[in-house]
Amino acid sequence: MKERIAVIDGLRTPFGKAGSALRYIPADDLGAIALRELMYRSPIPYEMIDEVIVGNVVSPIGSQNISRVIALKAGFPISTIAYSVHRNCASGMESISSAALKIQNGDGEIFIAGGAESMSNIPFAFHDKLKEILEGFFSRKSLIKKLLPIFKLRPAHFKPVICLEHGLTDPISNQIMGLTAENLAREFHITREEQDRFAFHSHEKARLNRTKLHEEIFPMPLPPSYNQSLDEDEGLKKNYSMENLTRLKPFFDRRTGSVTIGNSCGVTDGAAFVLLMSESKAKQMKLKPLGFINSFTYAALEPKRMGLGPIYATAKLFKKTGFKITDFDIIEMNEAFASQVIANLIAFSSDIFAKEFLGQDKAVGEIDTTKLNVNGGAIAIGHPVGTTGTRLIITTLKELQRQQKKCGLATLCVGGGQGAAFVVERE
Amino acid sequence: MEAFKLVYQNNIATLTFDVPNEKVNILKSNYMKEFSVLINELEKLPKTTVLIFKSGKPDSFIVGADVNEINTMDSQLLAFEKSRMGQEIFNKIQNLPYPTVAAINGVCVGGGLELALAFKYRVASDSDKTLLGLPEVKLGIIPALGGTQRLPRLIGLQSALPLILSGKMIDAKKALKIKLVDAIFAKEFFDEKILAFGKKLLTTEGIKEIENQRKLKPFSRKLIEKNPLGRIIIFNKAEKELKAFTKGKYPAPLAALEAVKQGFTTSLEKGLINEAKIFSKLAPSQTSKNLIHIFFLQEDLKKFTGSRDKNIKPLKIENATIIGAGFMGSGIAWLLSQYCEVPVRMKDLNQNAVTKGFKSIKEISFELIKKHKISEHESNFAMLRISGTTKNSGIEKSDFIVEAIIEEIEAKKSMLNSIEQLVKKEAIIVSNTSSLSISEMAKSLKFPERFAGMHFFSPVHKMPLVEIIPGEKTSEKTIVTLIQLSKQLKKVPIIVKNCPGFLINRVLLPYINEAIFALEEGFSIQEIDNAITYFGMPVGPLLLADEVGWDVGFKVAKILHNGYGDRMPLPSIVSKIDENKDMLGRKSNKGFYIYDQKKKKPNPAILQLVQQKNILSKKLDRQKEIIDRCILIMLNEVSLCLEDNVIDSPEKVDFAMIMGIGFPPFHGGICRYADQRGIKEIVNRLTEFESKYGIRFTPSKLLVELAKSNKTFYSM
Repeated sequence: MKERIAVIDGLRTPFGKAGSALRYIPADDLGAIALRELMYRSPIPYEMIDEVIVGNVVSPIGSQNISRVIALKAGFPISTIAYSVHRNCASGMESISSAALKIQNGDGEIFIAGGAESMSNIPFAFHDKLKEILEGFFSRKSLIKKLLPIFKLRPAHFKPVICLEHGLTDPISNQIMGLTAENLAREFHITREEQDRFAFHSHEKARLNRTKLHEEIFPMPLPPSYNQSLDEDEGLKKNYSMENLTRLKPFFDRRTGSVTIGNSCGVTDGAAFVLLMSESKAKQMKLKPLGFINSFTYAALEPKRMGLGPIYATAKLFKKTGFKITDFDIIEMNEAFASQVIANLIAFSSDIFAKEFLGQDKAVGEIDTTKLNVNGGAIAIGHPVGTTGTRLIITTLKELQRQQKKCGLATLCVGGGQGAAFVVERE
Repeated sequence: MEAFKLVYQNNIATLTFDVPNEKVNILKSNYMKEFSVLINELEKLPKTTVLIFKSGKPDSFIVGADVNEINTMDSQLLAFEKSRMGQEIFNKIQNLPYPTVAAINGVCVGGGLELALAFKYRVASDSDKTLLGLPEVKLGIIPALGGTQRLPRLIGLQSALPLILSGKMIDAKKALKIKLVDAIFAKEFFDEKILAFGKKLLTTEGIKEIENQRKLKPFSRKLIEKNPLGRIIIFNKAEKELKAFTKGKYPAPLAALEAVKQGFTTSLEKGLINEAKIFSKLAPSQTSKNLIHIFFLQEDLKKFTGSRDKNIKPLKIENATIIGAGFMGSGIAWLLSQYCEVPVRMKDLNQNAVTKGFKSIKEISFELIKKHKISEHESNFAMLRISGTTKNSGIEKSDFIVEAIIEEIEAKKSMLNSIEQLVKKEAIIVSNTSSLSISEMAKSLKFPERFAGMHFFSPVHKMPLVEIIPGEKTSEKTIVTLIQLSKQLKKVPIIVKNCPGFLINRVLLPYINEAIFALEEGFSIQEIDNAITYFGMPVGPLLLADEVGWDVGFKVAKILHNGYGDRMPLPSIVSKIDENKDMLGRKSNKGFYIYDQKKKKPNPAILQLVQQKNILSKKLDRQKEIIDRCILIMLNEVSLCLEDNVIDSPEKVDFAMIMGIGFPPFHGGICRYADQRGIKEIVNRLTEFESKYGIRFTPSKLLVELAKSNKTFYSM
């Protein structure tokens, strides 16, 4: 068996609702601020880090290869190499698994991995036609030739293209993520009430355990005015009652749907980072790691059922490693949508599902919901797409530490039809 | 031939100016003479020649005339002759019968730029070091080698006046824009490019092409400058601005304007003679000598490292922590991040205080971006280098720690003690106290050699002076590091001995106190402040007290009163005001003045506290009385500081007073002012005040001795 990867420490920014508290901090700055904070708290000097790997989904136009930008802005020396990874919603896990593979392969000893996303700063784009005309304006020489195409402009050309909307739409099935959640609600017959109740619990758990969440967060003074700082996830500020949730209209399928913005995760800004090295290196340096990455895997499925990613990935991981569901003390399954998590819970305990889709006789195993997302999930605190993967690993390890337990599973669904699953351990 | 080297090849004559054994080229008289001899030779070159003049120094073209020589011009006649002699040489250059080019790479100021203006063409390198300007007015003189004549004729009044009147420097790009130079070249290819430029000038087409570039003048320039009415408007506007700016204390800029005005429409020769005349009046003046004195003080300071031992190298500061994110702490954090480009950790007791620190940093950056002092890009990076915390995490990574918590000795001592246990053993720790004892604080440390006082003034981003206060055991390495760091932070460091108030607050307090005593005796608020600004101080003492803030001021006043006793009594008004908690000066919009929006008016509540008794009736006598009381009591304290070795020379005092409290530069500093006024007269005046107002005016031993032995501060 390959050597385990030690997670020395990890932290994240508080998560902000898009367009709100963190909106004036672009993804690279958000990452840089978080990474600098991690480096201040870690015993490892900058020079010893071999590489910085950052997951990010919507690359800011001004910061291509955001990882390198973040590294330099966070104070890394110019000699530090850095690259960015993209596996959609699992980008923040992909950065960790990439680092793990490099460590196991001997391509460096100490790594920074993480994710950074500012969904507030996803731009609007010009309509293609308008773009064409503007290009002509800049490339043509004579004034008349520059100006003539203006007459071709139509009011509709000025309608901006909202990139966020496009980004959240799967190009293969041509369905926005919310609709893939509707698909699962229908397939698994999950009622609106079940979804709302799940969402309500997520909020309840997060609010009750807010001090636990503080352990993975550092407070951020807020530009542009710096009149206040964001000390905890912005999602916790609003008090959702069952009544509030029930009153909301379906957002994606307005007439016959059941997925609302209340039982989905919010569009969110945030960054998270971990410091990684091999177990033996940590021992040699006499460090006390937060925990270890034991193993991980990714699996793929139809894009329009992408929410089932966790069951596919977990089943694959169990086959590969021999772990079974009862081995875990803590399970973190990302809450992209309530319907999507509930669908997974059903699928995990279903022999039929296992037979039909996973090519195995027996169900993967029933999930004990008292172990699931014990401090709430993305529905309450948000889902900055490139960042969540790293957040799940940190949250799982910190909870294992608090409970003095040993083994955790962190899994999430991935837009475009994939799933990721990580086994993490303490001790 | 020493400094000049002429090479003639393929019709191109290259004249290189390279003063031997010097880092930079200075136009000293002897080189001017050498040059004038050489010109006879240049005149003999064939008419098909192109002359290229360049510097042999890597980063300087010519840094100007020799300031020492200007300083020795003590008569109008001598100044006039020197100026005319130089002008004649430059005229000869202008009259050479073939194209001539000044190739400017590096600093090109004063006489250097005037020389370049005598050439037919100028080209510049785009190096950061290439700076062009006429800073003469800053030394109390005007450009006298044709600068006030040739520059406006070349680039027009509207572009020339700002350069001549303010003495500001411009870079190559700006010089090209205002057509002061005909082309700019990459500095890495400079030699090839100037040669190519020279070759171009060998052909008439080439000349035409270059000349055509020059003709593209803005239409407005023709419209305004070519008609007399337009010129009157320009000159009147400039004059009005200058008068407001110089307040009648600095004659040079107005004189420069006069030189331009009189010369712009006459022949060049008449203009030059006039320029030399005006120059000859200014050069021997006391104001000019005083400003030159300050210039030399500044040059000395650049070389000052804090130790005579050249082997002591400063510690390289790569990471800093500020304890206390208040107004001072956050200002220092900003300085370190912006100018030293190191990560700065700002620690305070709670997140609110940390966030407030970020807020004041943001306000500083915003202000300076607006004033184009820093770029937005740099400022964003500076902001990202600053992080906040309420814990001690990261302090172990710092090599420089600033304590900027409340001004209470016990709190500071226990803070310093706990910091020391967390930091690296070579880290330097400083306290930003404004008046508490450094030696006392040092007692809380195990390794006091790494500790010193480093007193920044408020607001940190505006005040140029930093007092460095070594404790008894502070190591030289610590001092050298702090001096170097101060310079990196664009501050002026002075070393001051530990005593209550150090130098600046110690001499400033009696000055402000005296203004308050005068107020209590019936002088009005405006009368006092006006008298002092008439003397040349940038703001009056009462307005200054409001700016500093009453809470801060009163604390300092008490510490100094405890330290110096009856020499620094507390005016009764002060304790009365102190009970009134909303009267904090500018920060609460209420102090000696009431501030609303942008206007201020005297606070009537203060007037109720004073007894009206008119001692002197004549306005002039009253003004003189105020000035002498406030300035001489400060001077007396300065002499006591010199007596106590708080600071080691009158030169340093003078520089510190100019930088620290804005003592008027045209006086050349407070000690120089005393020397020029006469120590005897000052002692007499102090004695007179002593009998009237008491022992706070008792002349210092040093002053009495200087008066007795007929010496001055500078000759002691």
